[in-house]
Amino acid sequence: MKTLPPLFVLLFFVTLPCFSQAKDSSPTKLEGYAVPQKNPRFTFPRDHGAHPDFRIEWWYITGHLFTLETPPRRFGFQATFFRQAAPLTLTPPAASAYFAHDQIYLAHMALLDVATGRFIHQERLNRAGWNASAATDTLDVMNGDWQLRLTDPVRETLALRGGIRAEARFDFAFSPEKSLVRFGEGGYSRKGSAATAASYYLTFSRLGVNGTLQLDAVSLPVQGFAWMDHEISSSQLDTNQVGWDWLSIHFRDGRELMLYRLRLRDGSSDPASTLTWVDNAGRTMHTPFRLEVLDTWKSPHTGAVYPHRLKLHTTDPASGRTTVLQIEPLAKDQELGGALGGVTYYEGACRVVDEQSNELGSAYLELTGYDQPVDALR
Amino acid sequence: MSGRTKSPSLTPLLLRLFTQRHWRHAFGQNLLLVLILALGVGVFTAVRLANRAAVSSFTHFTETLTGRSDWIIQAPAGTLPENILPELREALLDLAVQIHPVVESTATETTREDKAPATGFSRRTYTLLGVDLVGVSNLAGQQAASESFFGRTKPAQGTATSSTGDFWTLFQDNPRLWVSPALNSGASAPATLDLVINDRALSLPVAGFIPQVPDGPAAPANLVVLDLPQLQRLVGREGRLDRIEFVLEAGLALANRRIILGERLAALGRNAEGERWLATTPGARRETAATMTQAFRLNLTVLSLIALLVGLYLVFQALDGAVVRRRAEIAILRSLGVDAGVIRRAWLIEAALLGLAGGAMGLLLGWLGAQFAVRAVGQTVNALYYATSVSAAQLGWSEAGVGLAAGVVASIAAGWAPARAAALTPPAQVLVRGAPGTIGGPWLRSWPLALAALGTAALLTQVPPLELAGGNRFPLAGHAAALCGIIGGGVLAALSIPVLGRVLAPFSNRGATWRVALGHVRRPTGRHRLAAAALVCAIGMAAGMAILVASFERSVRTWINTALQADLYLSSQGAQSASSNNRISSATWRAIATHAAVERAALFNAYPIQIDGLPTTLGGTDLAAQNNRGGFMWLQPPLDQSVFTPSQNTTAALVSESFSDRFEVRRGQSIVVPTPTGPRKLNVAGVFADYGNERGTLLVERSHAVEWFGGDEHVTSLSLDLRAGTTPETVRADMLAAHPGLSIYTNVALRGEVLRIFHQTFSITYALEGIGVVVAVAGLALTLVSVLLDRRDELTTLRALGFRRAEIARATAIEGGVLALCATASGLALSFALGWVLIHVINKQSFGWTLAFAVPAFQLAALGALVVGTGFTVSYFVGLWGADLPSDREE
Repeated sequence: MKTLPPLFVLLFFVTLPCFSQAKDSSPTKLEGYAVPQKNPRFTFPRDHGAHPDFRIEWWYITGHLFTLETPPRRFGFQATFFRQAAPLTLTPPAASAYFAHDQIYLAHMALLDVATGRFIHQERLNRAGWNASAATDTLDVMNGDWQLRLTDPVRETLALRGGIRAEARFDFAFSPEKSLVRFGEGGYSRKGSAATAASYYLTFSRLGVNGTLQLDAVSLPVQGFAWMDHEISSSQLDTNQVGWDWLSIHFRDGRELMLYRLRLRDGSSDPASTLTWVDNAGRTMHTPFRLEVLDTWKSPHTGAVYPHRLKLHTTDPASGRTTVLQIEPLAKDQELGGALGGVTYYEGACRVVDEQSNELGSAYLELTGYDQPVDALR
Repeated sequence: MSGRTKSPSLTPLLLRLFTQRHWRHAFGQNLLLVLILALGVGVFTAVRLANRAAVSSFTHFTETLTGRSDWIIQAPAGTLPENILPELREALLDLAVQIHPVVESTATETTREDKAPATGFSRRTYTLLGVDLVGVSNLAGQQAASESFFGRTKPAQGTATSSTGDFWTLFQDNPRLWVSPALNSGASAPATLDLVINDRALSLPVAGFIPQVPDGPAAPANLVVLDLPQLQRLVGREGRLDRIEFVLEAGLALANRRIILGERLAALGRNAEGERWLATTPGARRETAATMTQAFRLNLTVLSLIALLVGLYLVFQALDGAVVRRRAEIAILRSLGVDAGVIRRAWLIEAALLGLAGGAMGLLLGWLGAQFAVRAVGQTVNALYYATSVSAAQLGWSEAGVGLAAGVVASIAAGWAPARAAALTPPAQVLVRGAPGTIGGPWLRSWPLALAALGTAALLTQVPPLELAGGNRFPLAGHAAALCGIIGGGVLAALSIPVLGRVLAPFSNRGATWRVALGHVRRPTGRHRLAAAALVCAIGMAAGMAILVASFERSVRTWINTALQADLYLSSQGAQSASSNNRISSATWRAIATHAAVERAALFNAYPIQIDGLPTTLGGTDLAAQNNRGGFMWLQPPLDQSVFTPSQNTTAALVSESFSDRFEVRRGQSIVVPTPTGPRKLNVAGVFADYGNERGTLLVERSHAVEWFGGDEHVTSLSLDLRAGTTPETVRADMLAAHPGLSIYTNVALRGEVLRIFHQTFSITYALEGIGVVVAVAGLALTLVSVLLDRRDELTTLRALGFRRAEIARATAIEGGVLALCATASGLALSFALGWVLIHVINKQSFGWTLAFAVPAFQLAALGALVVGTGFTVSYFVGLWGADLPSDREE
């Protein structure tokens, strides 16, 4: 689905709730929550904001930073904001605007210093209220002193303020280098065979990054590129699924690639797994793929064994030829413990090389369900 | 002196052959001495441990959850509005700081009418801590804990995490409690807890145990944690916070960021209207708590030293007695060339060993005693100062060191003179065994010393108190005056023994037994004099304290009679401590005030405030009504009636005596008081007596106070005048049935309760005094044992002259009885002076209360009779034992 001109969207949907959708036979509710429907019509900036009638939502940024010096220092970073709604079956206590109980917010920040291999991260959990919130009319999400905001609704620029304890501070501005990508069918992304296993999946596949990274006592001006997913759902996984492998690649030639492999309990891939190319104009194209594990890494923290180096077999739509991409993490230990969220996962900055070891781009690899099956998103 | 034997190796030999042998022979006597020392050290240690436990458990309860906060802000008066939270978050974005709002309240166990009335000791007061349970999970300590408020934090490999359903259930309407594992001594958590919160009796479900943060303090048994908004609703404080705590994230330049944060908070806390909040640190809060109770604790410590002081007398006496009795051997040793220094060293080591044994046993006794004393001290601290979590008193290395040192130093100090005497014993002494000892020296026979000590005591009573931190004062000179008085009184008693002997001379006609006994009394040895001085010390302090308590009680009774005029008094069952903020909701008090049997209801609001960083209370009541019923006991009455007219008293206040002393404001002066709606300058119109609050009370018209404190309609308590023809008991039962969370006292019952709390506050004092007297009487027995051992030749002679065993015992009993009589008379006389010092100097300087002097004649007579009677009886049995002593028995 092509992006509608913003003005048109605003005029057309001004009196409608966000995510109006065409009628079809999909269930519209799951345990009282809204369920993603086919043929969604989005209106922005409102749909960059929160959708509290859905159970789960996240704004997920991963990216690569380089200092301005020569040779540049390289970093990988992650800044994610999650929202989860309370079960609608509970008897809610009287509302307290400052300490609400209808939504809970989880956030993760992580930083990899590629040169030293130092990986630091922090989780944060807060209830809706004075210390965590997500606006419903635009992108303005905060969790403690971490904030992600849409700063210009026309240019769709973003600002992130975050950090990891007092060890690192992020103060980054993002500007889209391509228009918003709607994965799946116009943003309706299937995640399994169940009718409700779907999400709305909106992505800025290439955001230019400018800002300051404060690392310990040093303040570093940085530039780079990032990927941002905004995903909304009420049931991401089928009962037979144990987790997923997700990969985003920024190619040096200006294209991007995103894949997710939904892993079933027997080790096979769910048919809903998909690989999508994003060309320089922002157009998407699906190709079949196969992941081959070259190496594994056992976490000293959780004992989980993760695929470490991967080989991706797929077809390059530009050439129409089979291509083999090797995904190599820039450091082994990029695991995030799930002390607060209950989900331990791996979110690692990687480089992408071809079979001749020529570097083709940078990637972020996400691996879930290796510690234990992911239940939170069912 | 080259021929003298100086070898240090001789000392162990001497200790083995000389000291050890004597100890073996006089095992019982030495054991008693060790026990007396142990008792002294024990009491001293118990009070120290109890004091420390009571103060260390002040509690910054949040530390159980947060580890240690870097800064805390709280309102100078009342509570903080929660709408300042976003402002704080925005203002501190660059400092990597976690912000944790806190609501704190108290609750008590539910008591039912059919149960025996709960005493302060048995009724548990809980501290309810309301924190954002989701927010605290972000603290590093909470994440390191193996359990969280929502289940297991770190799932064991291969196990599932707790389901999200459990997590959300905790936010349901029904408040849930997390209790301390110490509540049930490690057993499983109770299913529910029955609590009285404000005026409601509730049975609340327990969700689990408070998670233990690694390296953090264990949750005290009386700590209960709730989710913050649930506690806000439970205590009727929606939208309000008691304080906000700030925890800096780990990382570089923590100390620097802490300073910046403090400065930022202080700057943000000031606006055009004054202080919105006060920024402080947990250390400063603990210090404030410590200084609040400093005078109280110092007074207790001084009292605890009495037993040690009496024990010191006895060690001196016992060692000196041993010198006398071992003179022959000492002389032989000296003749054999043993150096005087070696002998002195051996005696000092003996004294030190005695002190060590007594100290070690005292530590054990002290630890045991502290387990009981800590509750009493904690209860007093709780009643007078702030909520504590009374925990078990721990005997640490430093306390053990101090206890042992107290025993050893006291023992060596007491043994110094006897050691010197032993070293100086000339060989010729061997020829004159039985010559009078040197004990006591000339000082116990010195009238000038007695008069100088008493004169110094009189002068010291005029010295102002020592100023402590936080506006507290300690009557150092007052205690020194008491000590001088005790010394002077002791010497006077020693001097009066022969005088009494002469007075009793006519009794010599009653037979040989009397003649022998009175002969010894007329020519008292130093040992007799010392025993009398020790008894005087103990009796003087015990009786002096009895006078203080009686005076206090009389003043409190007078105050009660003045202040308590209503028929019924109502407060929340949860309002059990000085810091309790349990209140009665407006719905409840309005229902009560309009009860058919109620003629008039007087409302009272108490607001905790801080003036110059010192906690005190602002009270709001109907001043005119209180005055009309004669409810004030004036120390400085108002000069006109405007303070009792609501339209004219918006800037007027009445202050209690403690408040007046503490903040140095008298009638006619003014003071600025913080309120949530801005500071108020109030003119002090009068000063009244109030024995209910040592931190002081400032009273204003209730309608003004309610307005200043944001229109909150809750009340702290109310008193009711009932219509003629109604029975208070019936009305009380009726109201209790409708409002089971209330504590309702009839006038008679409340008076009884006030006096019960009063006596409870003094219970530890009674115990300390009792121990002092027991030690002194035991000391008298020890003295007589020692005296009889010295007189073995005389006893042999008496037996040869035909004295029977019972006659010797009788003679000893008369001798001991007269000594006890002499000491008791002197002690009681001294107690009047000590009582005066305690009331007008020590009490006044410590607590600021004016008390009327009252003498508990019956109690003093009973104490005197008990001591004389016990002295007589104990002496009789010592005499029976001594009658069989062979002349050549070694000790």
